[in-house]
This record gives sequence, C-alpha cells and structure tokens, in this order.
Amino acid sequence: MPLRYAAEQIEQHKKALVDILDTLPSIIVRVDRDGCVDLVNRRFELFSGVSAGNALGMRIVSLIPQFADQLENVGQVIDSQTPMEFDKLLCRKGSQLSYYSLEIYPLKSEGEAMAVIRIDDITEHVRIEEIMAHTEKMITVGGLAAGMAHEINNPLGAIMQNAQNIERRVSSGIPANLKAAGEVGVSLDLVRAYLEKRGIFEFISHIRTAGVRASNIINNMLHFSRRSEPQIESVDLSEMLDRTLELVASDYDMKKLYDFRNIDLVREYAPTMPPVSMVVQEMEQVFMNILKNAAQALSESGKEGTSRITMRTYADHGMAVIEIDDNGPGIDDSIRTRIFEPFFSTKEVGVGTGLGLSVAYAIVTKGHHGSLTVRSKPGQGTCFTIELPAGEELR
Amino acid sequence: MKYSEISILLVDDDEMIRNCICAFLEDEGFMVHQASSGEEALDSIVSINPTVCISDLRLAGMDGESFIRRACRLCPTTAYLLHTGMDYPLSDELRAIGMTPADVLQKPIHELSTLTRRIVAVATAGGRIG
Ligand SMILES: Nc1ncnc2c1ncn2[C@@H]1O[C@H](COP(=O)(O)OP(=O)(O)OP(=O)(O)O)[C@@H](O)[C@H]1O
Ligand SMILES: [Mg+2]
Repeated sequence: MPLRYAAEQIEQHKKALVDILDTLPSIIVRVDRDGCVDLVNRRFELFSGVSAGNALGMRIVSLIPQFADQLENVGQVIDSQTPMEFDKLLCRKGSQLSYYSLEIYPLKSEGEAMAVIRIDDITEHVRIEEIMAHTEKMITVGGLAAGMAHEINNPLGAIMQNAQNIERRVSSGIPANLKAAGEVGVSLDLVRAYLEKRGIFEFISHIRTAGVRASNIINNMLHFSRRSEPQIESVDLSEMLDRTLELVASDYDMKKLYDFRNIDLVREYAPTMPPVSMVVQEMEQVFMNILKNAAQALSESGKEGTSRITMRTYADHGMAVIEIDDNGPGIDDSIRTRIFEPFFSTKEVGVGTGLGLSVAYAIVTKGHHGSLTVRSKPGQGTCFTIELPAGEELR
Repeated sequence: MKYSEISILLVDDDEMIRNCICAFLEDEGFMVHQASSGEEALDSIVSINPTVCISDLRLAGMDGESFIRRACRLCPTTAYLLHTGMDYPLSDELRAIGMTPADVLQKPIHELSTLTRRIVAVATAGGRIG
C-alpha cells in the first residue's frame, strides 16, 4: 500500500471519529493521569466556552470547575482501572438549575494511562422523575381524599345550597316571601335595601363561590384515586368539544372569575375526523382545565384587541390532534418547564391550586396513551396540543 | 305544566341536606316529602306515589341502590334519581329500570337549578306529567 494512501486513510478515520464524538449529545473529554486535557468534543466547547485549541494541555478542573469534586478521582480511576459514576449533580448557570451525570472511565490503550470523562445533561430526566414521584404521592393523598370526600361533600353542599336558599328567600320573585314579609309587617323591598347596603348579598355570593372552589379542588384531588372502572366510549371529537364548551360556559365559578362571553371562541374542526376512544368525563376535565387557564390568562392580560381561543382539530399519522390556542400573555420559558408539576401555580392563593395541568397531563398520558405539550410565545399566546391515538381501542 | 303537580320524595339520612334541598324544592313550587332512610321511605312511598324520587346512595341501613330496586316495584311509574358524593357507575339493574348516567347527581350540587332541570326533564319524559 503506498504510504500516501495509508496516510489518507488514517486521516479519514480520524475525521470519522471526530464526527462521531461531535455528534454525541454528551460532553466528552480525554485526560491524562494529571487531569490534563488531550481531546475534547464539540459539546465540551459549547459547555465550557473554551475552544478545543485552547483546552488542550489545560487542567480539566480549571476548565469546568463546577465538577472539581468529582474530577479529583481521575487518578484513582486510572490506578484501579474501575470506572466511577456520579448522578444528579446540581449546577447553577445564572438563574437556571440543571442536573448532570458524570462518568469517568479508565482508558485501556497502550502507552500512557488515560481516562475518558463523559458528562450528560439529565435535567429533563430528573424533572420527569420528580413529577412521577409527586404523582405517586398524590395518589396516596388522593386515596385519603376519596375517603374524606363523602364526608366533606354533604357539609359543603349544605353551605353552598343554603347560601342559595338565603338568596332566594330574600328575593322578590317568590310569593311565599311576600306573604311571610306581610305577616310580620315588613316590606321585602326595605329588607333587600338593607341587605344591599350592608354588603350582605356580596357575602352570600362569596360563600357560594368559595364552596364551589373547595368542591372543585376536591374533585381534582379525587381524580388521582378513581377506583371504579372508567367507561370507555368511542366519540366524535367535534361533538365532544362542543359539549365541553357548553359546560365551560355554564360553570358558575367560571362566570364569576372570567367571562367566556368576552372571548371569541373560534372552532377550526377538521371536517372529517376518525372517532376517538376515551373516558369522556376525564377528557372533558382535560379540556375544561386548559380552557379555564386560557380564559384566566386572557382576562388577566388586559391586552388590547379581541381575546380569542381557537380550538383546532386534525388527524396526523393515526393520531387525533386537538389544539387549544389562545392569544393571551404567553408563558415565559422558566415557567413553561414547570407548569405540569402538581401544585405549581403563578396564581394567587385561592385562585389557583396548580393541579389543573398536572391532572390533565396524567389523564392524557397515562389514561389515554396520548401526549400533552405546550408551546408559547411570550406576548403572543399559548397553544396546548393534545394527541390521542385515533380509532383503536384503549388498553 | 305546573311544578305543583310534581310530587317529590327526598331520601337522605343527613338532616342538613334534606332540610336545604327540601327548602329549595318547596320554593320552586314542587310538592315535597322527605324520609330519613330507605326503610322509612318504603313505608310511605305507596301512599305518596311521587312523580320523582331522589335518594342518597350511602344511607344508614338499606343503601340507595337497594332502596330504588324495591321502590320501583311498588311505584313503577315514579322516576328515580340518585344523589351521591361517590364516583358511582350505574348498575345494570338500575339501567334496566330506565335510569341513565344523567340520573346520577354528583354531590355537592353547585347550583340547585340543575336539580330542577333534571326533575322537570324526568317528570315530563314518559308522560308522567303533561
Ligand atoms: N393559557 C395559558 N396562558 C398563560 N399561562 C398559563 C396558561 N395555562 C397555564 N398557564 C400557567 O401554568 C400554571 C399552571 O396551570 P395549572 O392549571 O396547573 O394550575 P392553576 O391554573 O394555577 O391552578 P388550578 O388549575 O389548580 O386552579 C398557571 O398558574 C399559569 O401560570
Ligand atoms: Mg388551571
């Protein structure tokens, strides 16, 4: 083989290796026994901000000091010829917290003893683990809540319904009220004027709203502990979405906090959609939670122009896709990564418990083998996308 | 249709709940009777022969489901509604007597006019009340 050809071959192999190293999502560095760098990949350059040319010969600890504690072990790994792993290392970059895993492998090549260090960003992974652990906890809490719910529902019902009875028994529309007022010799109009003047109607209305809120929280908690077999139906999405919109518009709590009448609801349904198997009540809750968030965001933003929520459906690769798109304030990146966590809320205490989206997430992904994702442009709006397997049977 | 032509029997072992729902239904103009247990309700249901009977599911003594199963033999033209705080899938027996999931009312009812609407719907269905 001519020498020139051999040299070309070596060059080609080298280039192929570099390509491979640069393609990997991990940070990769090769160091000698003293921790001096003799090879880095592209990820390393991006992470440390130091170019390969400048990194060569430098001590690795000075290039990525955040991992100094772990990197001290390079010598030991080489001497013992056994790899070492470090999991869930917390690093702060500005305001952002990230998790990394770091591994040191002894390199069994001829000549000088070397080690390879591999570092991976596992932030997303850790976060999902946390959400899952939290969900497990919620399931236990939910079990307790289910036992309590029956006990709580009666007193809660009595609070809300008696408040409603009080409202009605001081109203002028019911003949028995007028009769009773006449019998005790007072004018119902004056009674009403007094109650109005002392803000009592407002107190009563607050009792009702508070009761509804408490009841909604219990319902959300209960989701984690449903014991009875849910009923799976094959439904027409357009009909189902329209019914949900009706439900949303008639919810008492919703009317109070934000008005759906001021929001332009646009339906962009695909004319033909395959039927979708689902537990209707659960998916209704998913859409309601998302719509409620959108309405809240729109009413808070106080933006100029029309508030709009677009409901879009289409079929894509065997999935039925539903988008709920609002032109509200949008969500900042730092918040967006956390919105599916249970109890994460940016709303005032009493307004948001932070359960809405975590419940929706669990229903869509666990119960329906689908996905729930979000994209958002701060200042322009937010779009939630739900994908459900079309047609086929659940489970 | 006049609401006063519709008679209702409410079965619940919680006095507070009976009291507030009866007050509401009376204000609406319905003719309202109440019972604090399934056993008590079975004793009176024939003489009342209500248009609509609303029963709690979890009752001290006989539960709401067994109560309805027996009551519907005594008063087959009555429409039955279940009122429950639990997640309750309708049994085949109750489906067989014509009940649908919409006849299971979830406690606590946020807005009692939803109860009125359901009562009127079942009372007019099947020609119970014209
Ligand atoms: N359409 C949206 N536009 C802007 N922000 C949103 C939108 N939807 C959700 N968010 C953000 O996500 C957070 C979490 O939502 P989630 O529904 O889980 O809880 P919540 O609405 O705060 O409380 P809850 O739903 O329990 O009443 C909200 O507090 C809000 O900051
Ligand atoms: Mg919400």
